[in-house]
Amino acid sequence: MNRYSPQRAILILTASAALWAAIAGLCLLVGSTGQAGLPSAAQLGYRIEVILLASLVGAALGAAGVVYQAILRNPLADPYLLGVSSGASLLSYVWQFGLATSLMAHLGGAALSQQAFAFIGAAGAVCIVFLLASRRGRLEPVTLLLVGVIVNAVNGSIFLLVNAIVGERPGSGGPLSFLVGGINATVTRQQEIAATTVVGVGWVVMAALAGQLNVASLSESEAQSLGVRIHRLRWIALIAASLVTAAAVAISGPIGFVGLVCPHVARLLVGTDVRKLLPAATAIGAALLAAADAACRCIAGTSARTVLPVGVLTALLGGPFFLLLLWQSRRRGAPEGGR
Amino acid sequence: MNTLLFAREVTFAYAQRPVLNNVQLALSEGEVLMLLGPNGSGKSTLIRILLGQLRCSGAVVWEGRSLRSWKRRELARRVAYLPQNPTCEPDQRVIDVLRLGRAPYLSAFGIESVRDVRVVEDVARQLELTELFDRRMEELSGGQRQRVFVGRCLVQEPRTLLLDEPSTFLDLRHQVEVCQLLQNLAHQQGIGVLMALHDLNLASAFADRLILLDQGTVAAEGSPARVLDADLLSRLYGVKMLRVDARDGRTVLLPDINLHQ
Repeated sequence: MNRYSPQRAILILTASAALWAAIAGLCLLVGSTGQAGLPSAAQLGYRIEVILLASLVGAALGAAGVVYQAILRNPLADPYLLGVSSGASLLSYVWQFGLATSLMAHLGGAALSQQAFAFIGAAGAVCIVFLLASRRGRLEPVTLLLVGVIVNAVNGSIFLLVNAIVGERPGSGGPLSFLVGGINATVTRQQEIAATTVVGVGWVVMAALAGQLNVASLSESEAQSLGVRIHRLRWIALIAASLVTAAAVAISGPIGFVGLVCPHVARLLVGTDVRKLLPAATAIGAALLAAADAACRCIAGTSARTVLPVGVLTALLGGPFFLLLLWQSRRRGAPEGGR
Repeated sequence: MNTLLFAREVTFAYAQRPVLNNVQLALSEGEVLMLLGPNGSGKSTLIRILLGQLRCSGAVVWEGRSLRSWKRRELARRVAYLPQNPTCEPDQRVIDVLRLGRAPYLSAFGIESVRDVRVVEDVARQLELTELFDRRMEELSGGQRQRVFVGRCLVQEPRTLLLDEPSTFLDLRHQVEVCQLLQNLAHQQGIGVLMALHDLNLASAFADRLILLDQGTVAAEGSPARVLDADLLSRLYGVKMLRVDARDGRTVLLPDINLHQ
């Protein structure tokens, strides 16, 4: 039996980082219009920035997916399906209006205020999902997804309503950007720093809780008898995961299924232990989104006239994966709610 | 024998519905104490109260200290609990389930000490689980799964085990195996075992002492021979019972169907 020692934790982190670095390195060979090859010195900076942004968003969604699945005891939980991403996107969009900006300007920096707005949206969605989908302390898996669908639909309608009344904000990307997110290099340096800080801090909090998050898969009474203050753990972990999701969504818009697929791929590689799952799913999320963004650039460069948002590709890949998971969990006799 | 647990005047109600009324019990080191009683008599509620998961009036004292003065993590190192339906992920490996028992000892980031690993390995050896380490929980038989869950409890290095109907979903052989295992743990290692059980004959065979609950009150307490009184059980369970005392002193109870008809 291998001990989960500090050295082992560092080894897992290093291996995860190496996996990401290898794929991110390959993505460097793909340019903004799909052309492949070694970048020139002028291109290198731009490509690195885009890859790092995609990696940051992917890492955040992958890590948040692990925590949502552990806390909600549901392998189908994902920030996108739960409506967390759309809640964050909506508030992130609302932030762009003058009133919100001036209000928040009194409280902090401009970029931070967008993160804060996105977080409020994400936290609001989590609260609604939690309240409506839980019955006697248990979260019904199908209800959870239904509530997520409804939250997504309501958020989308509010977005379109605001968009219709106020008119499109220059550079907001229009209604399409709410439907599928993408990585674009128009993000300001300040926004990048804010997002990286929030994701970094949130990730460390989630990693610190990883040992206890294993226990969260048990029933409440079992978790309590193992010395875990389960309600406190749930809230801290949910806040951390929602913060991390919000930080990512504020710079990319909602990108679906990364938070669903990555934890499951990581499970195949490292097992169910959250201490190993978290770094693995983070690296896989970062690598997956960097690669998917590079693939989008290729598709856009060769066939399409406009840039293809990366959310299109992740949804195309993630949708069938979600159906496969749903089919599997039904075959097992709905263990998704009874873990 | 040191007293591990002492509960006095335990009274509890869900909303306005009384569940337990003035219950008193004590558990010593190395003792197997079983709670019997019909459905709804308050067995599971009493166990949850003893764990501090439900607030009651009265006093619960673990190892000489009031329950309220124990930190949750501290108590988890002394008292382990196995519910009627223990949970695990179907694809979780046996080793990962056992490891969960070290949760009260882990530091931040879930870092394990050398001792954590040694305890898990010792318990696995003791319960003959070492060979199953890499098996997924969904691949195990009911008896093996229950052994893993008991193992998870022992990994906590408890002085007391609280179990809520641990043999409910097992066939006869596995029921006996689990009860034998728990009795050995009590008699050989001095662990106090308190469990709720439905099977009167298992209780008769393996308990050192019984408490019979009826609508939240203690109807009888003492040795199996004393508590398993056919008239009392007939009244409590609403089924006429026949008691057969074997020559070796053991007691067997049967529903007396012929007489009932």
